[in-house]
Amino acid sequence: MFSSSQFDANNAFSGGGFMPSQQSQPADYQSSSSARSRDLQGLVPVTVKMISEASHSGDDKSNFMINGLEVNNVTLVGLVFEKEERASDVNFILDDGTGRMQCKRWASEVFDTKEMEAIKDGMYVRLVGHLKSFQGKKQLIAFSVRPLKNFDEVTCHYIECIAFHLRNSDSQVQGVSTQPQMVDSSLNTSARTGSNGYQAASLNHLASQFGVDGLKDCDQLILDYLQQPSSSERERGVHISELSQALKIPEKKITDSIASLENEGLVYSTIDEFHYKFARG
Amino acid sequence: MDTSNPAVFVNGELLHMHVGRRVRAVIQVIQSDNVGVTGKSTDGLQVVVKGILPSFALTNFVEVIGISDGDRSIRAEMWNNFGNTFDTDNYNQLCKLANGEFKHLFI
Repeated sequence: MFSSSQFDANNAFSGGGFMPSQQSQPADYQSSSSARSRDLQGLVPVTVKMISEASHSGDDKSNFMINGLEVNNVTLVGLVFEKEERASDVNFILDDGTGRMQCKRWASEVFDTKEMEAIKDGMYVRLVGHLKSFQGKKQLIAFSVRPLKNFDEVTCHYIECIAFHLRNSDSQVQGVSTQPQMVDSSLNTSARTGSNGYQAASLNHLASQFGVDGLKDCDQLILDYLQQPSSSERERGVHISELSQALKIPEKKITDSIASLENEGLVYSTIDEFHYKFARG
Repeated sequence: MDTSNPAVFVNGELLHMHVGRRVRAVIQVIQSDNVGVTGKSTDGLQVVVKGILPSFALTNFVEVIGISDGDRSIRAEMWNNFGNTFDTDNYNQLCKLANGEFKHLFI
């Protein structure tokens, strides 16, 4: 069903046993894409200000979007205040100079309790944690809270926040919505080339967001467009000229791509040879 | 979550842009007495810090968080020792970025 150029086994099977397929229903696709994007994003350097502006992604209220990307695990540098130790957890406020945020560290292991004992009010720390929403408020569940030893790390952290923002705001400028692109990476082999080492994940994700110029081919853009609810709900499907206008690709190229997609059984024509719909499994 | 009272990264030059607001600056201590602390900002300007004075011995580089009192003057609320070595050039560039193109990530 997948041609060799479109199918990337490494990527498709990386999600812990569930292979996200194109034929899955929108609900499945949401959850599989969020699982993958968690892998892709890794640890994201942020400021409290960036978190305060993060929005919930989709129906799943536990995920947040920063710069149009789903973000789960974050790292911050800031000062600890109002530390309060309880039997089961330690609560404190992290002030990173851009804002103050409620944090919690579960005291489940001796290691957690020990690490938190060393943290005092007014101390500069590097925090790694999970961004959560609790009773409508954003909260950080910390995995690691360590005192800073070298204060160049303060400067470095904020530079990393800027770098994260820069990397991802570039792709937003392209004006393509994020949701369908989450699916693309499993199909897009070309996006994987040229990425390596530490930045592999983010580069890969970034590459998959950069439209047309060879990184993501025309076929995939068409599939994305046809899978959007606004397209799939229409009984007649989508006219080739609409695809051409929306994707800013010449009609000739759209027609060629549609022909190959139709051969592969991914799309089908509806009322005439100009209207097409995405073929659900 | 509260982002209403941020402390903006500043160097000596940027202090006057935030008069009356909370700022944070790293200074290299030149002189410290019971009146205040005089130091050099990361862009090499002399800055006077008054207000709450530190209750501990200062290292060569300190971060002061307080209210900008105008040109080259800060009313301190809090002090943090940043050690005896610190890359002031990097910090100075960060101050510029945090007040310029990427201001929205900070304030």
